[in-house]
Amino acid sequence: MMKELLNNLYAYRQLLKSNVQKEIRGKYKGSFLGVLWSFVNPLLMTLVYAIVFPLILKDTEPHYITYLVIAILPWNYFTTVISQGTTTILGNGGILKKVYFPREIFPISVNLSGVINFLISCLVMCLFLIFSGIGFSWVIIFFPFIVLLQFIIQQAIIFITSAVDVYVRDAEYIINFFVSMLFYATPILYSADMFAGSSIEWLIKINPIAIIINAYRDIFYYQTIPDMQMLGIVLLIGILLFYIGLKVFRKLEKGFAEEL
Amino acid sequence: MKNKYAIIVENVSKSFKLVYDKPFTLKERLVFWNKKNTRVGKHEVLKNVSLKIKPGETVALIGVNGSGKSTLLKLMTKIIYPTEGKITINGKLTSLLELGAGFHPDFTGRENIYFNASIFGLTAAEIDKRVGDIIEFSELGNFIDNPVRTYSSGMYMRLAFSVAINVDAEILLIDEILAVGDQHFQEKCFAKLQELKKSGKTIVIVSHALSSIKELCDRAVWIYNGEIKMDGQTEKVVEEYLKVCV
Repeated sequence: MMKELLNNLYAYRQLLKSNVQKEIRGKYKGSFLGVLWSFVNPLLMTLVYAIVFPLILKDTEPHYITYLVIAILPWNYFTTVISQGTTTILGNGGILKKVYFPREIFPISVNLSGVINFLISCLVMCLFLIFSGIGFSWVIIFFPFIVLLQFIIQQAIIFITSAVDVYVRDAEYIINFFVSMLFYATPILYSADMFAGSSIEWLIKINPIAIIINAYRDIFYYQTIPDMQMLGIVLLIGILLFYIGLKVFRKLEKGFAEEL
Repeated sequence: MKNKYAIIVENVSKSFKLVYDKPFTLKERLVFWNKKNTRVGKHEVLKNVSLKIKPGETVALIGVNGSGKSTLLKLMTKIIYPTEGKITINGKLTSLLELGAGFHPDFTGRENIYFNASIFGLTAAEIDKRVGDIIEFSELGNFIDNPVRTYSSGMYMRLAFSVAINVDAEILLIDEILAVGDQHFQEKCFAKLQELKKSGKTIVIVSHALSSIKELCDRAVWIYNGEIKMDGQTEKVVEEYLKVCV
């Protein structure tokens, strides 16, 4: 099954490429700032939190805005991919009904265009790290691994949600609800320690997105080696989930043209 | 040739769900889960069809509307899947079921050539090689760098046909699109199909233009009510078919 996936992607690499370009360019078509919005949006979000939350939380981290940016950018990548990925098959229904090509091209190109946007927006994060005086440490060599981990998990999720959404169109609303709930179960605005000893501590502990976000913070903000044991577990879960996701997608894709 | 057959259709049946009121939402699915049978019927489009097509054959599928010809083509392209049975394809396949699928109106003709050809599985280098031929065949000239939304429907179709016909597949599936453009362009398409046939491509064509079929195809398959009624030399099959039709 994996071999088939790779063969398909190789054979249709040009389609994948032009689709990713279309996702990136097409999204902001007609707006003045264009692709710049993919920086501006998370920055504005960060700004709002940076103004509001120090008022609510008694003591925040010393470089709170940098602390926020490091978590908000990957979170933004996550939500964008999940919400766009879920509707991608439905949105491309017209073409799916007329021509054959590997259907997984669509969910994969959503994730790829997301990761490209994310990596570009990381340049902004670097500016924050430089100007706050935090700088860089050698532990950023873990960065590619963490991004890859996030990529695998997201791909697994949208394989399932994009296919299910064709059959049950409530999926996108349910998913959106879960994503906004997950925001609060993920230490983005605050540190995970704040929940130590509380009744929902376990939720943050088992939340793979929280583990990934913590890892980004570890390498950029705290400059320590991330929790490799937890990341290893997340990787295993991710690979398993990816396999299941692909299997579900393969099963459901047979009915796409009829259901759309 | 590695494979004895380009297309093997084995005992294929296809039925579509006839949904009177489609339960799209979760609520409806939950509320009506046990009443499914009363709301959903079945329409069998193809019944136990078997067909083998050799490489290099040019086969016409004929039959009245609703007999299942297009469904059979769609099954061959893997857009839909059979309810029962199996379809094996040996070779690279291109289908021209609907022209201009995936054209983006805001992109120029040239950009759309790249996008459309990539849907057929071509790489950028392969498209680079063909783009000249495609533009020449389409006779669009300078319009090629204008957005596709400014095209007339004839120009649109000509571009779409030119891309599809130039992708160099081993197996070509064509659904009722011989009637593209004016007389001149139609003749050109027909000549191109003859040329493809001579170069050893496998062509399966659905059409009601019986005279062109007679000229182009060696073999015809008459499908009636989801079953193969007759399979043989084009002349004979068309003759029998006309007897029933008229």
